[in-house]
Amino acid sequence: MTATIVASATRLTDGIDPELGLLLPEGFCRTFRVMPYAEVDGQLLVAAADVADPIVERVVDELITRPFVLVRHTVNEINGAIDAVYPPLEENLESPEARRARTQMAQMLTRSGLVTEDQLRTATLEYSRTGDPLGDILVSHGAISEDVLVAALSELHQLQRVGLTDFEPDTDVARALPEALAQELQVVPVARTGTEFLLAVARPLGREDLARVESALGKPVRQLLANRTDLDQLVQRVHAHHYAEIATRLVMETRPEESAHVVVSPTQKAFFVCALIVTVLVGVVWPTKTMIGLVALCSLAYLSVSIYKFRLTLRALGTHLEYDVTDEELADLDERILPIYTILVPLYKEAGIVPRLVRDMNALDYPKTRLDVKLLCEEDDVETIAKIQSMNLPPHFHLVVVPDSLPKTKPKACNYGLQLSKGKYCVIFDAEDRPDPDQLKKAFVTFTRVDRNVACVQAKLNHFNQDQNMLTAWFANEYSMHFELILPAMGASESPIPLGGTSNHFVTSTLRELGAWDPFNVTEDADLGIRLHREGYRTAMIDSTTLEEANSVVPNWIRQRSRWNKGYYQTWLVHMRNPFQLLSQVGLKGFLSFNLTMGSAFVLLLNPIFWALTTLYVFTQAGFIEQLFPGIVFYVASAMLFVGNFIFIYLNVAGSLQRGEFGITGTALLSPLYWGLMSLAAWKGFIQLFTNPFYWEKTEHGLDEEH
Amino acid sequence: MSAPVIEPTPAPSEPVIKRTRERLAGTVQAVGHRPHDIPRRRWESLAIFAFFAVAYIWFGYWLVVEMHVVSFETLDRLNRSLMVWHNDPAKLSAIGFDYPPLTTLLISPLTLVPALARSLAIVPVASALFAAGTMVILNSMLRRAQVLTALRYAVLLAVGANPLVLLYGAGGSRQFIWISLVMVAVGALFAWYVTADIRFIMISGLAFSVATLAGYSSLIWFAIGALMIGSVLSRLGARGEEIEGTTVGFAAPTAYVIALWTAFNLILLSNPFAWITDSSDAASSIGVEHFTFLELAQYTGQLVLYGAPLAIVVLPALIFTGFRSNGFALWLAVMLAASILAPAASVALGLTDAPMLMRNALLILLFAVIGAIWVARSSGTQNAVVSAILVALLIGSIPWTFHAMKTYRYQNLESSFAAAISTRESQEGARTPTGGTVGTASEQAMADFIRANISGKSTILTDNAQTYAVMLLTGDPALFFDRVDRSDGPWQEAAKDPAGYDVRYLLLSTDTSEDLLSQLYSDAVDGTDTLLPEVFSTPRYTLVGVTPDYQRPDSSSPAAPTPALDDTTSGGSVQ
Repeated sequence: MTATIVASATRLTDGIDPELGLLLPEGFCRTFRVMPYAEVDGQLLVAAADVADPIVERVVDELITRPFVLVRHTVNEINGAIDAVYPPLEENLESPEARRARTQMAQMLTRSGLVTEDQLRTATLEYSRTGDPLGDILVSHGAISEDVLVAALSELHQLQRVGLTDFEPDTDVARALPEALAQELQVVPVARTGTEFLLAVARPLGREDLARVESALGKPVRQLLANRTDLDQLVQRVHAHHYAEIATRLVMETRPEESAHVVVSPTQKAFFVCALIVTVLVGVVWPTKTMIGLVALCSLAYLSVSIYKFRLTLRALGTHLEYDVTDEELADLDERILPIYTILVPLYKEAGIVPRLVRDMNALDYPKTRLDVKLLCEEDDVETIAKIQSMNLPPHFHLVVVPDSLPKTKPKACNYGLQLSKGKYCVIFDAEDRPDPDQLKKAFVTFTRVDRNVACVQAKLNHFNQDQNMLTAWFANEYSMHFELILPAMGASESPIPLGGTSNHFVTSTLRELGAWDPFNVTEDADLGIRLHREGYRTAMIDSTTLEEANSVVPNWIRQRSRWNKGYYQTWLVHMRNPFQLLSQVGLKGFLSFNLTMGSAFVLLLNPIFWALTTLYVFTQAGFIEQLFPGIVFYVASAMLFVGNFIFIYLNVAGSLQRGEFGITGTALLSPLYWGLMSLAAWKGFIQLFTNPFYWEKTEHGLDEEH
Repeated sequence: MSAPVIEPTPAPSEPVIKRTRERLAGTVQAVGHRPHDIPRRRWESLAIFAFFAVAYIWFGYWLVVEMHVVSFETLDRLNRSLMVWHNDPAKLSAIGFDYPPLTTLLISPLTLVPALARSLAIVPVASALFAAGTMVILNSMLRRAQVLTALRYAVLLAVGANPLVLLYGAGGSRQFIWISLVMVAVGALFAWYVTADIRFIMISGLAFSVATLAGYSSLIWFAIGALMIGSVLSRLGARGEEIEGTTVGFAAPTAYVIALWTAFNLILLSNPFAWITDSSDAASSIGVEHFTFLELAQYTGQLVLYGAPLAIVVLPALIFTGFRSNGFALWLAVMLAASILAPAASVALGLTDAPMLMRNALLILLFAVIGAIWVARSSGTQNAVVSAILVALLIGSIPWTFHAMKTYRYQNLESSFAAAISTRESQEGARTPTGGTVGTASEQAMADFIRANISGKSTILTDNAQTYAVMLLTGDPALFFDRVDRSDGPWQEAAKDPAGYDVRYLLLSTDTSEDLLSQLYSDAVDGTDTLLPEVFSTPRYTLVGVTPDYQRPDSSSPAAPTPALDDTTSGGSVQ
C-alpha cells in the first residue's frame, strides 16, 4: 500500500464521509491523530497531524487495506473531526498532560536506545486500544524491565526510588497502614521519621489517594517509587499472617454450617446410627424382605440417576445451550472497557511446568496490563518458588507464597490468592491448563449479557493428551459427556452446577462475599457451585475450552479420582445437614438435581456389588440372588443392566461426537472397564472420608512428555 | 523453479496445541457450524399424533370388536405381555424368543391393567400408536422438504387412508411397530443430511437398534444407512477419523443389541443364531410353497403394482434425481429397491413362513412416500407440483389397492378387511383365501366360562402356545398352569400327572396338530375319555375336569418336547 504525503485539494473541512470516518477505531485516531475522511481517484485520504512520523504511516498501513495518502492537517482540525465522528466521552480522552507524559516517556526510552521503534509501535498500538500507561505496556511485553520503567518514572515525576529486594520491613511501621488500603493502592510504609512516613508506592499517588493514606497514617507521607514486583512481595510479607488466617478460617467461622471441617454433623451421626440399627433389626426379623428392600432402594437410586443424566444429555445433544461469543463480536470489543482479570494458578511441586504455564498465560488474548496472574505456591515448595523468582517475570505475574499451615489444600491457596486479587473478575487455572486464548474475553462478554444473578461462568474442560493411551481417551470421553452435554443442560435449566476444578470465572466481589472456597473440602469447586446456588446465584456455561492434561497413569488417576469422590461425599454431607433448608433455598428441582448429581458418586460404590451379584448368578444360578430380585425389582435391575449400561456407554460416544472428537468414539464403547476403575477410586475415597477426610491426594502433572 | 518453502518445525518444547477453533476447522459436522434446522413444533406433532392415533383406534375398534377382523398373532403377543405382569410368577421370559422381543415388550404397558387387557379394544391400540408416530415422522420430513402446509396435510391424509396402512395401523399388527422405528431412523438420516447435525446420526442409530429388536429385517436398512453415512461424509470431504467415528456412533447401538440378543440365544437356547433361524417368521418356512425365480419376480411385480404402485414412479424419479449430484436421492432409491426385493429375498433364503404377503407392500409404500418427499425437496421451484402429484397418486392408489386386497393371493386378513368395509357386516366365521377362519367367538365363550366358574392359581393346565387367546380374554394368566410358569420341564411332568400338581382342569385345543396337551389327551378332546369329563366346550376348545385321584393310564411323554423358553406360536395369524 503506497502512502504519499501530499497537501490535497480535498480537506477535512470539506466534510467527512461518515462511512470512511469509521474505518479506524476511535482510540487509534486519537492516539495517532489521524482521520480518514474522503476518497479521491481510488485513494483514501487520511488526515494526519504528524505525517513525518514513520510509525503513523506504518500503523495506518496495517489497518487500512486500500491505497491511501496521508494529508497534513492541524491537530485542532483532526481533533475536531474525531470528536465529530466519535462524540467524546471524558473517560476515554487523554488529557494534554497525560499525552505529554506519554510522549516524553516514549522519547526518553527511544533516545536512550532502551526500546526499538518496532517495540514502541506495538506498545503504542496497544495503548490506542486500551488506554493503559505506555510504560506498563512496554514492561508487560518484556521490552523493558520494571526497574527501567521505575527509573524513567522517577525522572519524569521527580520522585526518589527505593529498592525493596532485600528489604526487611519494620512490621510496626509497615502495618501502620490498614491492609485493605495498602492492598488497594499497592503502597507500604517503609520508614517513619519524626514528621512523616516514607511510603513505597508502585506509581505516584493522586491527590485523593494521597489524602486517604495520610489520613490513615495520621502523618504526611513522602512517596518513594518502587518496583511493582518487589512491592507486591513486601505487601504479602507484611500481611501474610492476616491472609493465612482468613484463607483458613473465614468459611469455618462465618458459615460453620457450610464448612466441611466437620465431616458428619452430630444430627447426621445420630440419623445414620439410628438408620443402621433399624436396618439391622429389621434384617434380623425379616432378612429376605430387608435385603429385597435394600436391593430395590439401590435399583431405584440407579434408575433415578440414570434417567436424570440421560434427560440432561438428550436436552443438550446437538444444540448450543452454552453462551457463545462470535469472533466478530470479540473483534468489535472495545478493550478500554476490559476490567482487570485475576488468574489464580495454584502450584505445588511443579517447577518444571512453570515456563509452559507462563507461555500459555501470555498467549491469552487479553491486554497484559490488565492481567493479574497469581502464581500460588506453598511455602515449603522451595523449588517452584525459586524457579518463578529466577524467571524475572513481568509484573502482571505475581508470586504468592502461602504460609505453611494445615489444611494444605488448593482451596486454601486460592483463598489466600483471592485476598490479593485486583481483578473485577477472577478465574482459576491449573498449572497445566491451556485455555482457549479468547476465553477471558468471552467470559467478560458473557458476564455483561447474563442476568445479574450469574456470579460464575464455567468454561468447558477437556484434554490435550487424549491420544496418549486408553486411560486418557476414556477420560476425554467422560469429560466430553460432562462438559459438552451434562453441564450445559444443567446450566440451561438453572440447576445447581458442581463447578469443574478449573476455568471457572467469578465475579470477585461476590466470591469474597460468599467466603470463597471451603479449604476443608477436597472438591471445593463442586461445593462452591452449590453454595452459589443456595445464595441465589447462578452459573452459566460458555463455549470455550480449557485443555488439561489427562491423567495417564492408573495409580495417579485413582488418587485424583478418589479425591473427587471423597469431595462429592463431603459436599453431599455438608449440604444435607439441613435438607429442609436446602429444599427451601434451591427449590424442589434444585434439590433433586443436587441429590441426583451427588448421587452419581454413591452409585459408583454400588457398581461392584451388583456386578458381583450378576456374575455370581450367571455362573451359579444361585437361588438367593433370584430371591433378591422379585417382579418389578427384577425388571428395573434388568433394564439398568441391559439398557441403562448401554445408554451410559452411548452417552460417552455422544459426548465425543458432540465435541467433534471422532477419534475416541471407539474407546467410549469400552468404557465399562473405565467404570471399574471409577468404582475402585470411589471406594478409596469413601474409606478415606472416615480415615483421612481432609487429605489432599495430589495429582502429578507433566506425565505426558510429548506435550 | 523457485526454492522449496520449508515450514518451520516446532521445537519439542513448543508443541502445537490445537485450540477449539483450529480443531474443528476441518469437521463437517461441527456443532454450531451447520445450517439451521426447522423449528420444533411440538404442538403440531402432538396434534398429528393424536389425530391419527384416535382415528386408527376408533376405526380399529370398529374393525376388531364389531367386525371381528382380528389377528391371532396380536392376541398371542398381548397374552405374552399380560404374562409379563400378571402371570404367577410374573416372568419377563414370557416374551419368548419366537417373536422379536420388542414386538411384545413395547406393547406390554397396554396389559398392565388386566381388565383392559381382556378387552379386544386394546388390540387396535397396539398398532395405532406406532402408525400415528409414523405420520409424525412423515410430517417432519415434509416440513424439512418445505412442502406447503396444505399439501403436507393432504399427503398425510392420503397416506393414512391407504387401505394397507389402515388395516395394519388399526388391526393391532406388529408390522407397524418395527416399520415406525425404521421410519424414525430413516427420518433422522433425512434430517442429518439436511442439517449435518450429528445428533440425528445418534437418533438414527438408536432407532435402528430398537427397530432391530422389533423386526429383524430392519438390519437391511441399517446396513444401507451405515454405507450411506460413510459415502456422504466422504463426498463432503470429511477426514477418515470423522467418517469412522460417525459410523461407530451410528452402528454401536445396533451392534450392541445384536450381540446381546445373540448372547441370550446362546445362553438360553444353546444356539446363538436361533433368533434368525427359529423365529416365528422363519421356523416353519421348510415346506412352504416353492417359488421359481420367475415366479418370485412376478409376485414381486404384483406386490408393487397392487400394494405400492407409487414406487413405480418414485424409484426412477429418485435415480434420475440422484444422477444430478443428489447423493441422498440415490441412497433412498437403494433403500426403496431393498424394500421391494426383500420379500423375494427372504423367500429365496428360507427366512419366511408366509411368502410374498401383501403386508410387505406397506414398507414399500412408505419408502416410496419418503422418496417422493425427497424428490419434491430436490425439485426446488417445482416443489408444490411434485407434492400435488404425490397427493394425486396416493389418492388414486386407494381404490386400486383396496380392490386388489379382495383377491390378492398371498394375504392375512386383507380380504376380510375389504369385505367388512364393503358389506359393513361382521366377519365372524368367514373364511380367508388362505383357508383360515375369522373371529374370536370360540375364545371369548371359553374365556367367559372360565371367568365365571373357575378360580384359584394354576388350576387349569394348558399349552399356552395354542390357547393364548383364551388366556388373554380371561385377563388372568395366573389361573393357568402354563409352559412359562416353571418352564417346559415341570410343565411336561404336570401334563403326565395333572392331579399330582393340583390341577383341576385341562384346557385343550380341538385341533390336535400343535397343542402338546391335546396330543397327550386326544380322547378327552374327542369327549371319549370318561376319566376327564367335559366341563365346557366351544368349536375350538374343550375344558375337561381333573379329579384329585386322576391317574393317566398311558404314561408316554408328549411328542417333541420343546426347549424351556421356546414357546411355539399358533403357527399362523389366522385360525
